[in-house]
Amino acid sequence: MPRTYEEELKYIERINSHCWRIKKGFVPNMNVEGVFYVNNHLEKLMFEELETASKFGGIGGFLPGMKQIANVAALPGIVGKSVGLPDVHSGYGFAIGNMAAFDYNDPKAIVSPGGVGFDINCGVRLLRTNLTEKDVQPMKEQLAQSMFDHIPVGVGSKGVIPMNAKDLEEALEMGMDWSLREGYSWAEDKEHCEEYGRMLQADPTKVSQRAKKRGLPQLGTLGAGNHYAEIQVVDEIYDRFAAGKMGIDFKGQVCVMIHCGSRGLGHQVATDSLVAMEKAMKRDQIQTNDRQLACALIQSPEGQDYLKGMCAAANYAWVNRSSMTFLARQAFARCFNSTPDDLDMHLIYDVSHNIAKVEEHIIDGRQKTLLVHRKGATRAFPPHHPLIPVDYQITGQPVLIGGTMGTCSYVLTGTEQGMQETFGSTCHGAGRALSRAKSRRNLNWYEVLDELKEKGIAIRVASPKLVQEEAPDSYKNVTDVVETCHAAGISKLCVKLRPVAVIKG
Amino acid sequence: MQKYQFVVIGGGIAGVTCVESIATFHPEAQILLLTGTPLIKAITNYVKVSKFLEEFDIEEKPFSYLAEQYPNLTIQNKVVTRLDTDRQVIFCMDNTQMQYDQLCICTGARPKLLSETNPYVLGIRDTETVESFQKKLSTAKQIVIIGNGGIATELVYEVEHCSVIWAVKDPHISTTFFDEAAARFFLERIQLAKEKQKLNEKRQKYETTDRLASAQSSTGNLCGGALGPDWAAERSMKGTSPQPRQVHIEYEVEVKSILTSDEYQERKLSTNTVQSSNEVQWPVYVELTNGKIFGCDFVMSAIGVAPNVELFLKSTNFTLGADGGLLVDANMRTSVKNVFACGDVCTAGWELAEHWFQMRLWSQARQMGHYAGKCMLAYANNEQDSLTMDFCFELFAHTTKFFNMKVVLLGKYHENDMKKYENLIRMTPGEEYIRVTLKDGRVHGCVFIGDTELEETFENLILNQIDVSAFGETLLDPNIDIADYFD
Repeated sequence: MPRTYEEELKYIERINSHCWRIKKGFVPNMNVEGVFYVNNHLEKLMFEELETASKFGGIGGFLPGMKQIANVAALPGIVGKSVGLPDVHSGYGFAIGNMAAFDYNDPKAIVSPGGVGFDINCGVRLLRTNLTEKDVQPMKEQLAQSMFDHIPVGVGSKGVIPMNAKDLEEALEMGMDWSLREGYSWAEDKEHCEEYGRMLQADPTKVSQRAKKRGLPQLGTLGAGNHYAEIQVVDEIYDRFAAGKMGIDFKGQVCVMIHCGSRGLGHQVATDSLVAMEKAMKRDQIQTNDRQLACALIQSPEGQDYLKGMCAAANYAWVNRSSMTFLARQAFARCFNSTPDDLDMHLIYDVSHNIAKVEEHIIDGRQKTLLVHRKGATRAFPPHHPLIPVDYQITGQPVLIGGTMGTCSYVLTGTEQGMQETFGSTCHGAGRALSRAKSRRNLNWYEVLDELKEKGIAIRVASPKLVQEEAPDSYKNVTDVVETCHAAGISKLCVKLRPVAVIKG
Repeated sequence: MQKYQFVVIGGGIAGVTCVESIATFHPEAQILLLTGTPLIKAITNYVKVSKFLEEFDIEEKPFSYLAEQYPNLTIQNKVVTRLDTDRQVIFCMDNTQMQYDQLCICTGARPKLLSETNPYVLGIRDTETVESFQKKLSTAKQIVIIGNGGIATELVYEVEHCSVIWAVKDPHISTTFFDEAAARFFLERIQLAKEKQKLNEKRQKYETTDRLASAQSSTGNLCGGALGPDWAAERSMKGTSPQPRQVHIEYEVEVKSILTSDEYQERKLSTNTVQSSNEVQWPVYVELTNGKIFGCDFVMSAIGVAPNVELFLKSTNFTLGADGGLLVDANMRTSVKNVFACGDVCTAGWELAEHWFQMRLWSQARQMGHYAGKCMLAYANNEQDSLTMDFCFELFAHTTKFFNMKVVLLGKYHENDMKKYENLIRMTPGEEYIRVTLKDGRVHGCVFIGDTELEETFENLILNQIDVSAFGETLLDPNIDIADYFD
């Protein structure tokens, strides 16, 4: 008997004004509790989504965020809590905006590609400049055009250099070290990048031929959908001191934000692993609540292979972002008849929001090695953490939050509270709650479809796009999301940015 | 006699890309490009939309452009008359000969014409024929367009101030690309006046250089390289009718005969023109298989293309594909040693990937040209064992514009497949049309019309072959951010 909404609510308990707990039993086999962060508006959306799913027995095969958070809590070897960040929304396997950490040394603990995402190391980087909005406004079209006039197959200062298979192998292994060697990156860029732009466990031999073939033509390309580059200006500075450490000094200061990942290569690595792991689950007697949560024991061959391949894909994404950085620097330099150095186009930071990391954390006073899955979630290490650059030791790691293309973006900093509560994780952007579309019938149109059906063509019809006024307000906008993180203490607001030009690949 | 390591015949997209591919990977290679017309296409404003979908402008540039880029590339404006594949020698019209180590045939295909001799029956294929068409159109009141593919569809949209009779052999329009529902979606737009090009269009540059007065003027049939995308943009295609838009469609018909004015009078049949005046005397009349006869100023034949293989068959027994093109294997090799072929002239003879098929499109010509160049190099260096097909041959992907709406086609989207498998459809009138065909619960093919922003997501779904059967039509629910879900 499926539960009623009221019955479901019995498992959800408010912790404080920004946080709710999901008790064990909400879904079967929960090993730990779930937790999610919201403000008033986001809270409404979370519960409405659950209610709609209860009422209608699901939303067309998509699970509400709360259920997904709980299903993740049922995975073997999970420690702490399954955390839903304020932008949490339905995703494949794990929800997007879900952090889950597993005891690396627990032989029963698992790793799951769904907890990383298909676009491995989809992430954001932010470059600063010493230009003002006034400098850029008259030039912005040229600037944008200049940036993406030629999207190269490979990167080169003289134009197109085709990437060959050997270059790709090296890029997979070396990440930003490859970009540095080839001259596309500055040495300081490495310092200001998560993992210094290279995950050492990467093993290109664990990336399939098909993945490499998908990746080869794409190195240096932006992709589509919600991947983009933006020329932005500083709209607000909340924390002058921290912003100053990042080189952000005044309102109207121009920055460049690049948001992209590993494209087809990441997709193939994830897909290959899902297939391999599904096969191994029987052998290792792993059970999950959701088929999409295919996973493997961390220490199994499938688990290790995935991690090595994932690291290689992550390296690829960093090479991609470095290539974009190179282009952006060249474009600005050309447009302003200057050099990237003179324009102070330094990399503030680069974060990943689709990745799994091996990290040391303190749990109940003891240090443990954890495998932290962050899907649609960003690492946010606090001040004095050894893995963040020297210049951010006092202020904490910068966290880059790209809003939806065309809306504003934010820079946050990591906090000690975040380190305790979410293993140093925070949100990544915006999201949308599931809602049931109102059905609209356009009579003429449906006649055509009936005719098709009569011809024996099997059709299922989705509801049409609704006009703005009719569209349900299920949107979790980035401002609500970051303010919630700030209020909950898991990261601190630092800078708000506003786009002046958007470049889509 | 001059000897070259690599010779390419044909200066259209396939040939030029092939040459560029060889030259970039092996700058020291001795390459010869033979082209019968003086114009060569150069791809500019190349923008990758997603990993498979490419949008680019094709700009015609004179010889010098390519030669400047690649010093070891020789380009000659010559017409090939004979090929001796045993001795590996090419003979040209000007009595010169050259020897090749590896040859690539990129001679493309020419439009099939309903009548080769009737001056009132036109086809369009290259810049020259487009200009000829524009000129004739500028004094026309009514034309008949025969055909149901891309060119015909584009023509119907682009022509203004001229009454159009569109005769298609299928039960609905644009069958090459659309199913019935999509066709119906477009039908609503056909009668609308042509809109201004949307903002954020990529720049279109289409230069016409002066044609060299040269030997090829005597070659009559020789066509220049095929038109690229956006061939119609910024070209005036206006007739003399006061009404901006008037389209009449005849379904499930073929052309029975084409009559001259005199022949028509002899027939003494009553005409059936959209212009009710019976006294109008048209220079040409089209009799359709449904009995109707339409008079017009001229007829546009857009019924497909025929690969330009005749010249080569004269001297050598090339194996042909079912559609008359030179059959090539997975390394773009024809059945004749050291001869490759790519672009419209060839027929893909390898075991095709599940979601790919050949269609004579400029994007495929470019992809084949690039790959053929790599193959030729590999064989020249005895490295053919390391050859693997480029990933673009894994998934059919085409992006274009019809009736001023963006159209993206992925995988096996055709109507034939549509009948066998399940289809998810989402349509918002006037704005977008989406059809996703599923096979065994996985995405098999898609049609996207309008700014759906879903192309990359579904490309990945086809390539990943993720089981999406659990979602049903909710997969296309506009309130669900499906791109994010699978990111």
